[in-house]
Amino acid sequence: MAGGDSPAETKKGSSKTSKNSKDSSKESTLKQKSPAEFFAENKNIAGFDNPGKSLYTTVRELVENALDSSESISELPEVEVTIEEIGKSKFNSMIGLIDRERVDTKLYDDYETDKAREKRLVKEARASEIQAKNLASGKKNKEPGVSKVLKARGEASYYKVTCKDNGKGMPHDDIPNMFGRVLSGTKYGLKQTRGKFGLGAKMALIWSKMSTGLPIEISSSMKSQNYVTFCRLDIDIHRNIPHIHLHEKKANKEKWHGAEIQVVIEGNWTTYRSKILHYMRQMAVITPYAQFLFRFISETPEKNVTVKFTRRTDVMPPIPIETKHHPSSVDLLLIKRLVTDTSKKTLLQFLQNEFVNINKNLAARLIGEMGPDFSPGMAVKSVTSQQMVRIHQLFRQAKFDDPSGDCLSPAGEYNLRLGIIKELHPDMVATHSGSVDFFLESMFSAQVFEGHPFIVEAGVSVGGRDVKQASHILLLFIHGINIFRFANRIPLLFEQGGDVVTRTALKRINWNSYKINQTQDKIGVFVSIVSTKIPFKGTGKEYIGDDISEIATAVKSAIQQCCIQLKSKIVKRLQAREQQERKRSLSRYIPDATGAVYEVLKQMTEEHTKKRKRYKEEETAMLEKVSKLIITKETLKEKLAEHVEQVDYEMALEYATQSGVSEEPRENIYLQQLNPNHSNFIDLHSPTFVFRLIL
Amino acid sequence: MADKKKPKRTKEDKDEDLPFKSILESDEAILKLLKSYISSSLTAAGSSGASSSSSSKPLTLADLSLSSSCREVADLSLSSVQTEIETVIVQIARSILAGDGFSFSVPSRAASNQLYVPELDRIVLKDKSTLRPFASVSSVRKTTITTRILALIHQLCLRNIHVTKRDLFYTDVKLFQDQTQSDAVLDDVSCMLGCTRSSLNVIAAEKGVVVGRLIFSDNGDMIDCTKMGMGGKAIPPNIDRVGDMQSDAMFILLVEKDAAYIRLAEDRFYNRFPCIIVTAKGQPDVATRLFLRKMKMELKLPVLALVDSDPYGLKILSVYGCGSKNMSYDSANLTTPDIKWLGIRPSDLDKYKIPEQCRLPMTEQDIKTGKDMLEEDFVKKNPGWVEELNLMVKTKQKAEIQALSSFGFQYLSEVYLPLKLQQQDWL
Repeated sequence: MAGGDSPAETKKGSSKTSKNSKDSSKESTLKQKSPAEFFAENKNIAGFDNPGKSLYTTVRELVENALDSSESISELPEVEVTIEEIGKSKFNSMIGLIDRERVDTKLYDDYETDKAREKRLVKEARASEIQAKNLASGKKNKEPGVSKVLKARGEASYYKVTCKDNGKGMPHDDIPNMFGRVLSGTKYGLKQTRGKFGLGAKMALIWSKMSTGLPIEISSSMKSQNYVTFCRLDIDIHRNIPHIHLHEKKANKEKWHGAEIQVVIEGNWTTYRSKILHYMRQMAVITPYAQFLFRFISETPEKNVTVKFTRRTDVMPPIPIETKHHPSSVDLLLIKRLVTDTSKKTLLQFLQNEFVNINKNLAARLIGEMGPDFSPGMAVKSVTSQQMVRIHQLFRQAKFDDPSGDCLSPAGEYNLRLGIIKELHPDMVATHSGSVDFFLESMFSAQVFEGHPFIVEAGVSVGGRDVKQASHILLLFIHGINIFRFANRIPLLFEQGGDVVTRTALKRINWNSYKINQTQDKIGVFVSIVSTKIPFKGTGKEYIGDDISEIATAVKSAIQQCCIQLKSKIVKRLQAREQQERKRSLSRYIPDATGAVYEVLKQMTEEHTKKRKRYKEEETAMLEKVSKLIITKETLKEKLAEHVEQVDYEMALEYATQSGVSEEPRENIYLQQLNPNHSNFIDLHSPTFVFRLIL
Repeated sequence: MADKKKPKRTKEDKDEDLPFKSILESDEAILKLLKSYISSSLTAAGSSGASSSSSSKPLTLADLSLSSSCREVADLSLSSVQTEIETVIVQIARSILAGDGFSFSVPSRAASNQLYVPELDRIVLKDKSTLRPFASVSSVRKTTITTRILALIHQLCLRNIHVTKRDLFYTDVKLFQDQTQSDAVLDDVSCMLGCTRSSLNVIAAEKGVVVGRLIFSDNGDMIDCTKMGMGGKAIPPNIDRVGDMQSDAMFILLVEKDAAYIRLAEDRFYNRFPCIIVTAKGQPDVATRLFLRKMKMELKLPVLALVDSDPYGLKILSVYGCGSKNMSYDSANLTTPDIKWLGIRPSDLDKYKIPEQCRLPMTEQDIKTGKDMLEEDFVKKNPGWVEELNLMVKTKQKAEIQALSSFGFQYLSEVYLPLKLQQQDWL
């Protein structure tokens, strides 16, 4: 609820905040909470539940900000994320604390009594024994249990998270306020946005303040600037104002523009490693036009991780446009705010200009419907609270055209497809977009839920290899259904169970009917939903509820469309395989069939020779051949094999003439742009082409 | 013994105040009613039988001039089965040697090839067949299995022994892979050769049980079904060895489920009202169906069915009555005509005030099955059934026989059934 209400309050009251907080500091009885305080106390709603999750959320907030920033100036994003592990002693030296050895060991929770040590030693001995045995028997050993040292309570791990982008950068003077004041963001219009609360880096700053006390460091430069702003600051949580340590201008030698943010926080890499890597990879799937470099630098070098997600396309989705509210989506508070903020004079102008889908004619009709207290020419600022209720009621009940989806920026079928192919290398992939794509024309436009337009795009992939990286193994695909969810072009990783996509894919799609084996095939289901308002469920805003039938239906039909595309591919492939294996699968049954036939013939021959049964003439002729070994099991086998060969040949011929030369649809390939600095090319010229060796 | 207990029990029951107990008349009165019903129905049957026997014996397919020809199988002697197989095999061998491969022409048992004949009140198989060539990827497996089964049955014929379906499956597990495959082909084979499955000397494991006022001989041994203990006598799989049926029962009670059967057997319901109680514990197997038909034909008793009040209960009833689609080729031998639906009928739910918590809501699948059943001819022919089924689909409620236990475990045998008999409430 806080996310919904506070923007309105803060926008109005941002100027008053400082005054308010000054007052409240004097009056201890009536304590007022600053927004920063509120989030510090309820950090779980912003995704800072525990150190591990906090590390994850910090990374994603920084990455999402970076992407937004680059996209806002139509620059292909280049994002570098570095997480550096900071050991205890290094951390202490950073904050100027001298390391101190434990003197009174019994004071600590993790003190090991003699008995406990004895126990542990016995256990370790046994474990190493087993390990030795396994080693001897050639069995593969899992991580030896001994090396797993439990971390002592209270011994936190610290990480320096750095995120660098090539985005817009920030104006020199605005930087302190952009970071040091919660809920002072620019993202409060009605627009498809990545950020979920508009907190972004600020929450990370609050978390660093709470866990390490170290300030945040920001470097930024804008395209027009010839200097780099460097700023070190932290936040005064109680007063919700920035506390600046350093704010200076440096020379910009590399003509770099963008922002680099560095924050030191408590975290937990061990438990959230896979989540963070999954996040990065899924981000690369949905943003194939961006380049990501992710690095984890550990104190022990063998644990270092470097993953580069290269750019596969230079086509960026258009920037989402800020739009006006749809009358059926506004609440009373919002009407009040719009009335306060509007520059229009009359009620008619207000209705006509502050909402979508209300033209002059409709505005006049609406005012007529409101009753005698209202008139088109009345001053909008004179509308009373009661009258606002009347407007609200009418907005709810009246019929309006659906808002258009033009303000949305879906990933695009082309990009989604590329992303899936680039990062997951599936055997087959099909995508479907509910939008009017800029590459493929589709008959569907955006759909609407409670006055907010939304677009569902889906991809389904089958097969694919497990993605392995040098130092870590990321098992992205397990056999069965693997679900990848995206909302407003960011991956959702938590609370998968209740999500509309999960439910739909697992319960409402009959995979068998598309020749897909739900348990044995590696199926990837990718669904991206974009909207001006994603109807999240749960405190962490990590999933979309299954109870909205408009969205559930759209998701189902999008997945089904993909499946239909896949089915024809799969059927073709099965046919091709059948062609290849026909002879083999037929021949396999020859011995069984001929064996059974021969068995009966032999029995009959026996009966015949012993004169136990009389047979017809043509039968006796055959039986005599059997007894004279003219007909044997082998002759039957040979003859049947000959027949199979002939049938196989005929059918192969038929298949070839029928299917003809049909090729898979061609796909555009993306060639990475060459670095213009390279000049040492060797060109081999021929009349038709140039062959260039790149050194 | 039952009489001794009775007065005591009624006193207790009065205290408990079982619903509808009060309108229940004494057993003697009910018996009297039943006797009069049976004698009247017998004379009716006798008169109609007399009239029909003058023209012909029981109606067969051949008597009807149907637009499409139908396929029926007959009991064949072992040697003729053997000859049939040999003819087929020689044909195959000839075809293989000529370099033409081989194929079977197997009668189709698909739903589209089934026909309900109202005159016979059973499902019969039409004459459509499908070709099963060896040299086709889709049919090579089935063709090979068919060949193998033919060879195995040929052996059975030579040695004159019976084996179970399970035995048959285990002779070549590698080829058959799972028993449903060999079982399905077995039905194909009997259909193809034009003989009943029992004449192939392949039997299924015992499933059905019978208890009550019945004496018959099984392979020469006389069996008295009142002295078979609580569980009753297992219905022998090879019905051809059963004979000499005698009974002083007034009706046959067909029970869908084991639980209700045990209740009735333990309460010795058949001593209170002379009857024979049969169950196949769910979907009936061939042996139980054959046995029921034999009893009905030889003893000329009415058959009353006690099944769940759901679409599957009615389906089971229909399998006893008009045959299953899977084995429609042998429906002449497997079906028992004129089975009465005693309960639990959808209308009983309200009539006997079965409490809400014992009724179950029908699933979507249930309702669909129910609606499909309404289209089936064997339901349509009986207006009473249509009405009941309509009620079931409308109320969307089902109940199992066990729902009656909400009034006490013995409500079924103490009140429900006697009351049903008293009111002659069957359709």
